[in-house]
Amino acid sequence: MSRIGVFVCHCGENISRTVDVEQVAQAAGALSGVAHACDYKYMCSDPGQNLLKKAVADHNLEGIVVAACSPRMHEKTFRKAAASAGVNPFLVEMANIREHCSWVHEDKAEATAKASDIVTMLVERVKKDKALAPITVPVTKRALVIGGGIAGIQAALDIADCGHQVVLVEREPSIGGHMAQLSETFPTLDCSQCIMTPKMVDVANHPNITLHTYSEIEQVDGYIGNFRITVRKKARSVDMGKCTGCGVCMAKCPQKKIPNNFDRNLGTRPAIYVPFPQAVPNTPVIDRENCTWFKTGKCGVCQKVCGPGAVDYTQEDELIVEPVGAIVVATGFELYSIAEKPKGSPIKGYGEFGHGNLPDVIDGMTFERLASASGPTGGKIQRPSDGKEPKQIVFVQCVGSRAREKGISYCSKICCMYTAKHTMLYKHKVHDGQAYVFFMDARTPGKGYDEFWRRAVEEEEAVYIRGMVSRLYQKNDKIVVMGSDISVGVQVEIEADLVVLATAVQARSGADSLAQKLGISYDGYNFYSEAHAKLRPVECATAGVYLAGACQGPKDIPDSVSQASAAAAKVMTLFARDELEREPIVAKVVDRYCVGCLACKKVCPYGAVEEKEIRDRQGTLLKVVAFVNPGVCGGCGTCQATCPSKSVELDGYTDEQIMAMIEAL
Amino acid sequence: MKNKLSYSYYPGCSLHASAREYDESTRGLFKALRIGLVEVPDWLCCGATPAHNVDELLSLSLCAKNLELASGVEGDLAVACAACFSRLKTTQHTLAANDDKRQQVAYALDGPLAIGKSVKHLLEILAKDLGLEQLSAAVQKPLSGLKVACYYGCLLTRPPDVPQLDCTEAPTIMERVIAAAGAETVTWSHRLECCGANFTLSRPGVVLKLSGDILASAKRAGADCLMVACPLCHGNLDIRQQEIEAASGERYAMPVFYMTQLLALAAGVAPGKLGFDSMITNPVPLLKEKHLL
Repeated sequence: MSRIGVFVCHCGENISRTVDVEQVAQAAGALSGVAHACDYKYMCSDPGQNLLKKAVADHNLEGIVVAACSPRMHEKTFRKAAASAGVNPFLVEMANIREHCSWVHEDKAEATAKASDIVTMLVERVKKDKALAPITVPVTKRALVIGGGIAGIQAALDIADCGHQVVLVEREPSIGGHMAQLSETFPTLDCSQCIMTPKMVDVANHPNITLHTYSEIEQVDGYIGNFRITVRKKARSVDMGKCTGCGVCMAKCPQKKIPNNFDRNLGTRPAIYVPFPQAVPNTPVIDRENCTWFKTGKCGVCQKVCGPGAVDYTQEDELIVEPVGAIVVATGFELYSIAEKPKGSPIKGYGEFGHGNLPDVIDGMTFERLASASGPTGGKIQRPSDGKEPKQIVFVQCVGSRAREKGISYCSKICCMYTAKHTMLYKHKVHDGQAYVFFMDARTPGKGYDEFWRRAVEEEEAVYIRGMVSRLYQKNDKIVVMGSDISVGVQVEIEADLVVLATAVQARSGADSLAQKLGISYDGYNFYSEAHAKLRPVECATAGVYLAGACQGPKDIPDSVSQASAAAAKVMTLFARDELEREPIVAKVVDRYCVGCLACKKVCPYGAVEEKEIRDRQGTLLKVVAFVNPGVCGGCGTCQATCPSKSVELDGYTDEQIMAMIEAL
Repeated sequence: MKNKLSYSYYPGCSLHASAREYDESTRGLFKALRIGLVEVPDWLCCGATPAHNVDELLSLSLCAKNLELASGVEGDLAVACAACFSRLKTTQHTLAANDDKRQQVAYALDGPLAIGKSVKHLLEILAKDLGLEQLSAAVQKPLSGLKVACYYGCLLTRPPDVPQLDCTEAPTIMERVIAAAGAETVTWSHRLECCGANFTLSRPGVVLKLSGDILASAKRAGADCLMVACPLCHGNLDIRQQEIEAASGERYAMPVFYMTQLLALAAGVAPGKLGFDSMITNPVPLLKEKHLL
């Protein structure tokens, strides 16, 4: 290749302030193979792009180097411009003289020399670029949504409303997630059930949604556009086709003393149960661990009383395979518990709060159940120990959160707001009661949020004490709260009837193993990682997998719903075309050299490397080699660097190109 | 008994002075349990609270010197006083993590540091090295019917990561040890609250309040006595007890024992050797009532 154009950008003054751009262009023009070189104030602007297109035509350019910003910023822009001028877009290279040069240097002469070096290297590289064609992959226009909380429900409904099939998988017997447990929601105090349950019914009735409750993801195969998901439908012991949801089985079940997990163990439920009256689907499930029939082989009452004969003790787990093209992960969160943690765990419990052994020390979600009209007390605030209405209630924020010594340094984001809400709900129900809140900071960045908090303080008379709590202990029938008020520098002791801890939002237990099945990355706290914190906040680095809700990090309802709709929009973008076009910067294995050690398979972060058998015409196996699935490959080059026999090459980044760049210096 | 345990022993200043009964009962107990105990020759003060508040290098150097001296005696280093234990452990922890300070201390001590000695509190030796079963087997006079409030104070388990004795905020090691001697332990709230410590000299009012809260909590829980492992806590709870009673109008009359006094009594050491006569709150009526004397 010998007809290369070099375009040096000033980036306003971002580059030209420290780099003599004219000199760089001049030097580039003298390089062998460069047919045209010039500089311009804003190459990415419309006139800048036209300059490039005109130069292609005027000088019959075959390759292009744009010396400007990072390829992450504008590589796509210039590739598009080049393509419209008739140059293969993969013959365009960015020489990054902004982030890698002008922004980090002060001396103009040295920076100019370095910029020239960078351009020279890229000129050598573009000489060895090959024209590439985008890779196309067929798309299965069917989405999987994992998790049936508000985020999963929203994503499923959005995708289904757009006309695509959705498979929604929920681990619990009913969809609804945490939001179904809440009483009223901030900052408007509308009833959670009232806004949630219609959406749950919409999911159940939607012709495009296949709902698998009481089910888990067993295995994930395939890649973007072409996943194969194996779902384990756990044995419900009730035939969903026959059950009418009449509830006789639950009423007659003699085993009624099982702690009701949905009510945070405040109440009890039978062994055959729906988690809550508004459950979707309204089909009970038998909790086999606690069912007398499954424990002793005796009882069988539910089967006898079931009119339609839906109870089936012989049901077994079922594995079904669902082909889908995209996955939305919306598995939500769980709350930190103050109980003692296993030895060696980086997360510590709260011995100073009694490790959860004081009955009148509860967490925020338990308070939600107490305040909920459909909760175990019918919405009356009664403390667990003796059912008395608490007249002095203390809320403690940041329990576990922002506490490095307890193993968690992040902010759980929702607690400031829900604690303010709790003080209001309390005041609305216990008019002569007094609420105290121990807090570090009140973090209220959201629409209407600060006003809501101020209302709790100014109108609902919650007493906010800035300081931490050092110990909680039982004294007769009170819980003594020992804390500090750092704004006046005194120690505070409050004898409370009930203490509510705003415990940290944590990733679901098992989040890591699901991530491993999906091939997505997660952080040190097991929250799932987005591809880019700011610009790709709903996409995973793994193509075709999107995130919604608190599985990515602590989130409130509005944020979860927004992210769910954003994830749905990403899925719909993917489904808008029949075939998926992917950048052809992918790794290729040279079968002839590959020794089949599969070191590349171990290091590939995308799970793109497969084993390929090489056979002769008689079908005898000659050897096994690595094969990089171009539909999955992310083009990171890790395999290329790892391969001991140098038999993997990444298009656009071949060893030959990299050597040529080094030699150009 | 398979005992061949033997330790070097750092009593610290208090145990040679105001907490003499802690020293005597420790020696008595270890003898009864047939555990060797050899006092480190020529040991120095650990620096206690004053040194580390005034000059960190001094405080680290004093402890490093003691560890160096201890390295000349066989066996892990047994420490009874909670504050000495804390200072020695803190020194090891700080110097392990900080090269600059290591070099400064090495310079101050004029030679390479020898601070690797394993430092163990008596509780650790009894609960882990000897084991609760062995301890139980050595009991001749079980402390049956004696309701003990185990008081840890600030230093035995804190700061997290330094002493590594037991769970920082909900430890059970004292309860386990004294229960092995047949005593009953009470569940109470102020096991880990501060007694007021050195404020006993500068602002005794603070001590009267904090130690008063501790006594009140132990009484509320139905305890007959307190058990401690720290001479300063002992001073505040025992010596100041009458003042606390006068200030609060409450009557406690609650003996404050060192852990080794009770354990040695259970192990059959003669009561006359356990220093009960040097306690301000007279324990004799209680011990007689429980048929332990």
